[in-house]
Amino acid sequence: MKSPKQVWLWFAGTRVGRSIFRVGLPESNLGRMQAMVSSFLLHLHPAKVHRHSLQFSSTLGLGLISLYLFLLLCITGVALMFFYVPSPEHAYDNMKDLEFVVSAGMIARNMHRWSAHLMVLCVFLHMCRVFYTGGYKPPREFNWVVGVGLFVMTLVLSFTGYLLPWDQLAFWAITVGTNIAGYAPVIGKKIQFLLLGGNIVGESALLRFYVLHVVVLPAAVVFMVALHLWRVRKDGGLSRPGEPDVLVPQSETGRLSTNKTYGLMELARGTSPAVGLDPADELPAWPHLVFREVLLFLATMAVVMFLSVFWNAPLEEFANPAHPPNPAKAPWYFLGLQELVAYSAFWGGVVVPALLLVALVALPYLDRERAGVGVWFARERRVAVTLFTLCVVAAVILTVIGTYFRGPNWGWVWPWAASVVVPH
Amino acid sequence: MNQGHSSPSAPRAPQPGKGDSRRDFIWLTLGWLASLFALGASGFATLRSLVPNVLYEPSRRFKAGRPGDYPDDTATFIEEVRLFIVRKGSTYRAMSAICPHLGCTVNATVGKHPFLCPCHGSHFSPDGAVMSGPSPRGLTWHALSLSKDGRLVVDLDRAVTHDKTLVIQA
Repeated sequence: MKSPKQVWLWFAGTRVGRSIFRVGLPESNLGRMQAMVSSFLLHLHPAKVHRHSLQFSSTLGLGLISLYLFLLLCITGVALMFFYVPSPEHAYDNMKDLEFVVSAGMIARNMHRWSAHLMVLCVFLHMCRVFYTGGYKPPREFNWVVGVGLFVMTLVLSFTGYLLPWDQLAFWAITVGTNIAGYAPVIGKKIQFLLLGGNIVGESALLRFYVLHVVVLPAAVVFMVALHLWRVRKDGGLSRPGEPDVLVPQSETGRLSTNKTYGLMELARGTSPAVGLDPADELPAWPHLVFREVLLFLATMAVVMFLSVFWNAPLEEFANPAHPPNPAKAPWYFLGLQELVAYSAFWGGVVVPALLLVALVALPYLDRERAGVGVWFARERRVAVTLFTLCVVAAVILTVIGTYFRGPNWGWVWPWAASVVVPH
Repeated sequence: MNQGHSSPSAPRAPQPGKGDSRRDFIWLTLGWLASLFALGASGFATLRSLVPNVLYEPSRRFKAGRPGDYPDDTATFIEEVRLFIVRKGSTYRAMSAICPHLGCTVNATVGKHPFLCPCHGSHFSPDGAVMSGPSPRGLTWHALSLSKDGRLVVDLDRAVTHDKTLVIQA
């Protein structure tokens, strides 16, 4: 009986195997780096990774987990598309079929839903991590902006996604969401009409959100994720303490002369911070990074599976334009926004989110403090950390209020008081 | 790149006195304008195609039964069109049940402010005026008339002021 490794080595050594993999299973550090550079799937990685970047406490793995969740969402999403017709007549019945008729249909829908919820959470936490470790500081300003874009895309994908079952949540979410768009100055009403494809929430609205959800937005996210990851490499890997400042090309031709041959990508740009430095504290990405990535994927998968087996994705009653549920609540990640629009649709639904977005995008260009990169809650960044924390706490408080302290007719309730049942 | 075949690889130096720079400028401008126009026109056409020219939606003007169908001193809710027909003696009015805030359907209850929005908590008086909550204005009153065959006609595209009522002498 041959071990899997022996089988692999035999196959990698055959003519066919060599044509596919070029290099066999690496046995030396040189081979490990060749493996990273010559493999399509692995070439996104650097050949060598700094020890700090490999520590779980540096990143908590949040970016990778978000990426894995997005992959899971793509796979389960395509699986669900086989059983879904985007029309008000069929959509709701399709959900019932997924639950009661299709083999493993419910687990696919559950995985899709749990991955979506976790992705919103992880992308947000990833943003917090990058902020608190100063990861947006030069030369990574633009990648932070791309990340903010991805956060917005994640929210819009969730929003367009939970409309599709055409239950009460779906219907009232489109109604409220597109009405918020209507409050945007000047072109608000036009955008609302364009989103709905008419004046009422109906067939064309569902179809439009479906196309956005399954084609337009995922395609945009794939492109932006590719850009995001590429920039991580080009900006010199993950931020870390004691990182050298950005080097400027010294020679007249604009290229740094170097005789280093490892890590070809490190030489691709003259301003790469790693050029000309000792490879101290760096480890080959194979196996150190790849192993951690596989492990993290398995952990992500395990959590999604666990949640999906024990908690079903809810389905409310069939969409009924005459009667919103009371209270009509958005999913948890939009309840802070719902609490805001309950004060004013224009200020809470348009102005505050727009200002927050502008602030997030402008942040790396406004924050001139260069110290404290790669350190959690650096002392030098006390003011920035405090301000950001205040915003996060405000968002959490609003979400908690919307979730637990709002009852029928969006009135204030104490969560420990007996629940009031209001007939529709 | 196959450099061997491109014989004069260096960019051509501008030749003064031959009018080249002006000709270049004109062609360059025309080229840019044409490209931008092509891009802009395709973009606009794509966007425009998404603005529907025909709406397959229920008519905004419709008949809503006979005046006698509505009991006196009540606001009767018509589900399909999200509208209250409010009758007080011989006066009739049509009041929208769509909250002007973010489009939820208000619920009719009993009390001082009988119309409540379940989504964001706006309260409306019996006349549809905002009493509390985030709604920027009161519930809309729609034009109501009587058709020749004696039925009420609601026009959702015509909003009227609160004092406009349809008086039907029985």
